[in-house]
Amino acid sequence: MTTQHGRRQFVLVALVVVTLLVLLASIRYGAIDFSIAEISRALASLFPGQPEPTLDQRIFLELRFPRAILCLLVGASLGVGGTLMQALFRNPIVEPGLVGTSSGAAFGSALFFVLGGVFHIGTSLWSLPIAACAGGVISTYLVFLLARSREDGRASIVMLLLTGLAVNALFMSAIGFLSYIARDPQARSITFWSLGTLSGASWKAVEIVALSTVLGSIVALRYAKQLNALMIGEEEATYLGVNVNRLKWIILSVNVVIVAVATAFTGVISFVGLIVPHILRMLGGADNRFLIVGSALTGATLLTLADLIARLSVRPAELPIGIVTSAVGVPVFIFLLRRRQYVF
Amino acid sequence: MLVGRNITFRVGSKKLISEISASFTPGGLHLLVGPNGAGKSTLVKVLARLLRPQTGSVEYEGADVVHASEAELAKRRAVLSQAIEIAFPLTVREVVMMGRYPHFSGRPGPTDEQIVDEVMRHFDVVEFKDRYYQSLSGGERQRVNFARVLAQLWDHTTDSCRYLFLDEPLTFLDIRHQIDFMKRIRSFTKEADVVTVGVVHDLNLAARFADQILMLDRGRVVANGSPSEVLTTERIKQVFGVEPTMVHTEDSGIHLIFGTGSV
Amino acid sequence: MKRLIIFFTCVVLLGASCARFHNAPTESKDARYVVISPIYNEVIWALGAQNTVVGIDLSTTYPPEVKNVQTVGYHRALSAEGILSLHPTAIIHDNNIGPPQVVQQLQQLNISMKQFSAKNDSFDGTKALIREMGAYFHKESRAEELCNTLDTQRTASLEKVKQFTDHPRVAVIHFGRASNVYLVVGKGSGGDGGGVSQMIELAGGEMAVENTGGRGMQRMESPEIIAKANPDVILLTDYGYDRLGGSTDQIKALPGVATSNAARDNRIFRIEENVLNYFGPRSGENIAKVAEIIHKK
Repeated sequence: MTTQHGRRQFVLVALVVVTLLVLLASIRYGAIDFSIAEISRALASLFPGQPEPTLDQRIFLELRFPRAILCLLVGASLGVGGTLMQALFRNPIVEPGLVGTSSGAAFGSALFFVLGGVFHIGTSLWSLPIAACAGGVISTYLVFLLARSREDGRASIVMLLLTGLAVNALFMSAIGFLSYIARDPQARSITFWSLGTLSGASWKAVEIVALSTVLGSIVALRYAKQLNALMIGEEEATYLGVNVNRLKWIILSVNVVIVAVATAFTGVISFVGLIVPHILRMLGGADNRFLIVGSALTGATLLTLADLIARLSVRPAELPIGIVTSAVGVPVFIFLLRRRQYVF
Repeated sequence: MLVGRNITFRVGSKKLISEISASFTPGGLHLLVGPNGAGKSTLVKVLARLLRPQTGSVEYEGADVVHASEAELAKRRAVLSQAIEIAFPLTVREVVMMGRYPHFSGRPGPTDEQIVDEVMRHFDVVEFKDRYYQSLSGGERQRVNFARVLAQLWDHTTDSCRYLFLDEPLTFLDIRHQIDFMKRIRSFTKEADVVTVGVVHDLNLAARFADQILMLDRGRVVANGSPSEVLTTERIKQVFGVEPTMVHTEDSGIHLIFGTGSV
Repeated sequence: MKRLIIFFTCVVLLGASCARFHNAPTESKDARYVVISPIYNEVIWALGAQNTVVGIDLSTTYPPEVKNVQTVGYHRALSAEGILSLHPTAIIHDNNIGPPQVVQQLQQLNISMKQFSAKNDSFDGTKALIREMGAYFHKESRAEELCNTLDTQRTASLEKVKQFTDHPRVAVIHFGRASNVYLVVGKGSGGDGGGVSQMIELAGGEMAVENTGGRGMQRMESPEIIAKANPDVILLTDYGYDRLGGSTDQIKALPGVATSNAARDNRIFRIEENVLNYFGPRSGENIAKVAEIIHKK
């Protein structure tokens, strides 16, 4: 037991170090490269009495730095979301988007793009994320409602999976319909938004996502032990004192909030939630307390690396980050499928 | 003392068990037998409070458990089921430690660690402690599960009785392990405050190890008493549709022999 | 344990290997423009002002020399940092840029954004645009030359068109990249299809498909659209044509095409989007080009 425990401590410490290194790379490199000296000067300009920041320094302070932080936070959200979903579904091949959250959030945003044009809704920074969250909450609630059995009000995990599949299909076709009736410029927004991008990052976005990520992770950690118990079965978990239905509601809610909020600011980014828990399990086993903390760090690191690739590979242009995560994620997903580790 | 009063459990319009009343005393091994679909597993689940009956009640030491909290109940009641499937890499020690979950919040304390070590020694699974549960054979896995379940009940945490339920735990085990298990269960139930109710398919094992047998058929109790009272040739023929040949040995155990001509 | 070490080594190496050269700061006061519009770029090159352009968008493809300029990406998926890394003095666009957050960021940073008021939706509009841009880039005399050439070439083309006695009914099929579907351009329509309708008519053709109201192009969801129109000639713009590998069979498989006169006579042709779809400096001679194609037998 101590060897496993020691190993986990080591992994977590190493992950913190790696995350910091990757963060450093992220704030330094991009379409514009910043040296440490320039970064220091930019930060210094924040203090009273210092000269006003130059354009490059403002780019660092208002674009690059919040983007790097947002990337960490979104990556952490997606990583934790993946761990929670896999624990809840007792299945390692599951993604946060599987209970309809991502497609609902995408639909909310698409609706916002289309209706916003028609009704001239203000394009304040909050309207879009709120629309996405609303969409995510509706779709997830719908999944849960439809998956409940008529007899005892419980929703078995298999039913959740199947209903999630159906609701995803429903919302994706609704999005298709929206892009059908959309005027072309709006349709283009929908397409690119659904590929994911960090380019809209701002400090306000960081505030909101930080709130949801940190709060969500804290709540999730409090239920880590119960999620462990769930690994040996719903009945067994009940015998160990877990109120399984309540656990499902709470964990699902946390998942919706952290994934929908992240999706609202960056669009749909796939596969992070799938891959991250797997890496962690390979490194330190399946205890959920370790997984939740570890997947926040690993998700943050992986997404930041993906964003670096997105920003550097065709600079000064950018790849949508969803393309990078899919390019890595799809082969990994297929590899995992073939290893037959899942249980349905 | 565990008492079930007039329990009926329905799924949709179908009654799985009807108006079952029975009591189970501590210190003895009580086994439920019956053909497939008799409702044995359902009854155990109702008694263990996993399911709530539409009518009737379940009392642990005179108190109705319908409103007890899951967490509180888990400190004194444990269930050993058929082999469980785990889709994640959990070590044996982690699985056994889960038995202690109802007893600590946050991290396990020294008592918990100690009990887990003891229980693993008792079930001879210490050599596996860092191996993954998934890599074990059926018999080894059930020993681990047994260890986990007993870890849950190992210490007398409250003044109440401890309740152990067994829901067909012998499936997937070979004959040696089946007998081994039954022996261990019996020795645990000898403790004065343990109430044990289990479901087994093998009538010989039931005959050999049970202090009390409850025979169910189509959701109802058809017999309740000692093995020799319950396991008569006519009754077995009526309920199970097979006719055994009874053999009594010197240790006064009952042995049932089923030939091909029995059906 | 070994796996752990390998994994972490890879991650650290990857992070460290992202080292790239530091950007040299530009001190000069020369104009540096990032121009995000295919027509603006075409005019700038025609005006000879291209040495002020430091960045263009992905959709700008004419003239071929634009390849030598850095691209900042697709006009609806821009990145503020990417554009600003070119240290532009102004960003010139035609109000078709996104995503909205990036536009906001650029405004927040007080970056100079310029849009021209004239629109290239007709010959006159195009000339106004050329003159407006000529003034902005201090190439007024060149702008006048371009306008005159435009007029001369238009007159010459219209003469050529008079040679043709027939007025073929033409259907124009365009591939919408954002919506990923084939679209049919409507007659006399505004919007995206505006230029097309006028060009076809100037070239002596007739738009076979009626306008469905306001949007210029409609999706080919029903075979009736083409079938009822029964065009004599079908034109596909370059991207949509190449996408089907130029295979006439695949083109005939598009809804309603197979039964048309155009399919029967094999009068299905490819045409460059920048020749047909919008008005620009070359539109004068383009009329003749279009006429050649649609009158081909």
